[in-house]
Amino acid sequence: MVHLDALHRVASRLTGNAADADDLVQETMLKAYRAWDQYQRGTNAKGWLLTILRHSFINEYRRRSRHPETVDLDAIEPFAIFDGVQEEDPQGKFFDQIVDDEVLRAIDRLPEQFREAVVLSDVEGMSYEEIARILDVPIGTVKSRLFRARKMLQAKLYEYAVSMGYIKGSHA
Amino acid sequence: MNCKEALEHLYEFLDKELTPDVERDVRNHLGACRPCGEHFDFEEAFLRFLQARSRARSAPPELKRRILNELFGE
Repeated sequence: MVHLDALHRVASRLTGNAADADDLVQETMLKAYRAWDQYQRGTNAKGWLLTILRHSFINEYRRRSRHPETVDLDAIEPFAIFDGVQEEDPQGKFFDQIVDDEVLRAIDRLPEQFREAVVLSDVEGMSYEEIARILDVPIGTVKSRLFRARKMLQAKLYEYAVSMGYIKGSHA
Repeated sequence: MNCKEALEHLYEFLDKELTPDVERDVRNHLGACRPCGEHFDFEEAFLRFLQARSRARSAPPELKRRILNELFGE
């Protein structure tokens, strides 16, 4: 069960709660076990498992997923945080003070389409092509979702860092 | 390649998704343009931070037991 940790990380971010994440992973493993003859040897097993997981999520869990209210996409200008911090902290050292929980919370608040792109890329390290296959969208869509998602996360985490006093920040 | 073009390739560059030609052009620009170099370094640090913070957790051991039991047990 080499991919169990990956499945669990993705399931946690998709469902937004531990109990559903566990159930979703268990269901995915059972489905994969039963459908093992459909898996093509030599292809990406992690991608195959994540595709099964995502389908199960959409069909059975999405309705009852308990995500906190997501950020309003249009309200976030994808401005570059870098412009605001380049004087004070151009290497982004302030990020290092932000703990795991806060980062996961920020990811959980992304709208679902953006959240899944960022989880597959930044959490699981998958390529654009693998992500496009799992999400069943063109590679260009993966790129634009990743761009928006990362900018939103940066904006959220920067705001948090300012509120905690990790960085003074500039209100450009 | 100018600054605007380099920035358009920011994440593809950091995600190693560019063709070798374009990647070389971006790299050349970054070598010659300090502000862009710093901007790319900042974004790279952000992505590294994001990965480190979000990849830390592993699946609960009881979940593994539950699944093994379901698949092969009883």
